[in-house]
Amino acid sequence: MLTSSIRSIRFAFQSFGRNFWLSLITVSMLALTLVTVNLLLVLQIVATKAVSFAEERIEVSVYFHSGTTEDRIKGASGYLQGLPQVRDVQVITAEEALARFKERHAADATILAALDEVGGSPFGPTLVIKGKSADDIPLILESLDNPQFRDDIREKDFSSYEDIVNRIRATTERVRLFGIGLAAVFLLIAILIVFNTVRIALFVHREEIAIMKLVGATNAFVRSPFLIECFLYSLLAVGIVAGIVFPVVAAIDPGLSAFFGGESVGLLVYFQKNWLPIFGIQLAALTVINMVSTTLAMRKYLKV
Amino acid sequence: MIHFKNVIKTYPPNIVGIRNVSLHIRPGEFVSIVGQSGTGKSTLAKLMFAEETATSGQIAIGGWDITRISQHDVPMLRRQIGVVFQDFKLLPRKTVFENVAFALEVSGTPNRRIKEIVPQVLKIVNLHDKGDRYPKQLSGGEQQRVVVARSLVHRPKILVADEPTGNLDAIHTHEIIDLLKKINEFGTTVVLVTHNREVVNALKKRVITVDDGQITSDVEEGRYKI
Repeated sequence: MLTSSIRSIRFAFQSFGRNFWLSLITVSMLALTLVTVNLLLVLQIVATKAVSFAEERIEVSVYFHSGTTEDRIKGASGYLQGLPQVRDVQVITAEEALARFKERHAADATILAALDEVGGSPFGPTLVIKGKSADDIPLILESLDNPQFRDDIREKDFSSYEDIVNRIRATTERVRLFGIGLAAVFLLIAILIVFNTVRIALFVHREEIAIMKLVGATNAFVRSPFLIECFLYSLLAVGIVAGIVFPVVAAIDPGLSAFFGGESVGLLVYFQKNWLPIFGIQLAALTVINMVSTTLAMRKYLKV
Repeated sequence: MIHFKNVIKTYPPNIVGIRNVSLHIRPGEFVSIVGQSGTGKSTLAKLMFAEETATSGQIAIGGWDITRISQHDVPMLRRQIGVVFQDFKLLPRKTVFENVAFALEVSGTPNRRIKEIVPQVLKIVNLHDKGDRYPKQLSGGEQQRVVVARSLVHRPKILVADEPTGNLDAIHTHEIIDLLKKINEFGTTVVLVTHNREVVNALKKRVITVDDGQITSDVEEGRYKI
């Protein structure tokens, strides 16, 4: 058993080296397939980041009546911060609201004159609420109907966000479905490429397989070097792809952050943290597909 | 040693390869099976090492009934029979040494034994200095000698040679036939399938003539007559 196993490993390495061009083509095909799989993964990460980037910018502004006391504002703020759906609550006092308004309209003398005429701040305090996700906004809006401070609220600026929330939801769902569909198509293509690559490689070896059988080799003895070779192909393909993916990701990561207001997508960090499951799963999947294809394709050549 | 009883072999849809053949080859015999192309002599050889299975009848090799041999047992049978083919059937990406060693490796022979036996067998076929060559670097005659070495290496009791000189010139044909005779002298039963008149006539051994899937003559010191 041990002797046979060692021989199978030796035959696999021998075949790999002595059929160098065939091995090179096979590994290249497998590597190209994996590149598309990793490209899909990158797209998925970027899409997820884009959705969360947009969701982070959704906020609900709640305008309180002028003269609402600081305690009541703090109470409302505390209540909202206690909600699991709320990520952040920012309190803008009446004075801060006035200062911001003045700053925004610094060039408009008419507006500034009008403000002087009113005297003091015509604005009430404001709460700016950020949800954890787009899905949380309706719940937050609903919670603002709490009788404790419902009557203090002058206006809730949410109507314009409703549309955004719905659009982001629809986009997120579309992106998710598109991702699943694309992944399924790519997986199917990948399986077909691997299957055909293996079939071509075995077609080249068909006479050798018959000869091995005619001199008394068992099916297992003939098959095992090919299966080991499959693992070698897969290992090399994954190694090459990892060698391509890391530098490419490192190169595009800073460029992508420009699209997200300087905020990093974390692509490189994601690959650095998860390299083992990412490439481990790819190696396992590729090896399994390879071995199943080899076993299926070999069946007819073993009937000697 | 080799026993065929009422063996019939048909191929789909309804092509007859062998018609009701019965024969008995004794241990240590040198038997030539002759006949024109397509008469069924190669089918007879293939039935002996289970490359084909009989449609009906009974085949026994060394007392082992292989008529309905299972796929699992076929390798065991082939390790006990040496086979020489017309088209050599050498592994193109293995050296001469590795090709011969492969017949031992499949049966789990230890490396130490392989390193002892293979050079000895290569010496018998006069290829001891060409062990590291690949088949394509050898002449036809040399390739056929490698095949003979491979078929001998596990000391088979039976050697089946299916048109071994079909692709060789006169000189190489003579070399191969001399080798087969030498192997036979050591006690191995040799079954030679051929349509080479000169070879058969020079051998002066038992000749079985096959025509249209049937044995038409079986003569102890026979000659080629069709």
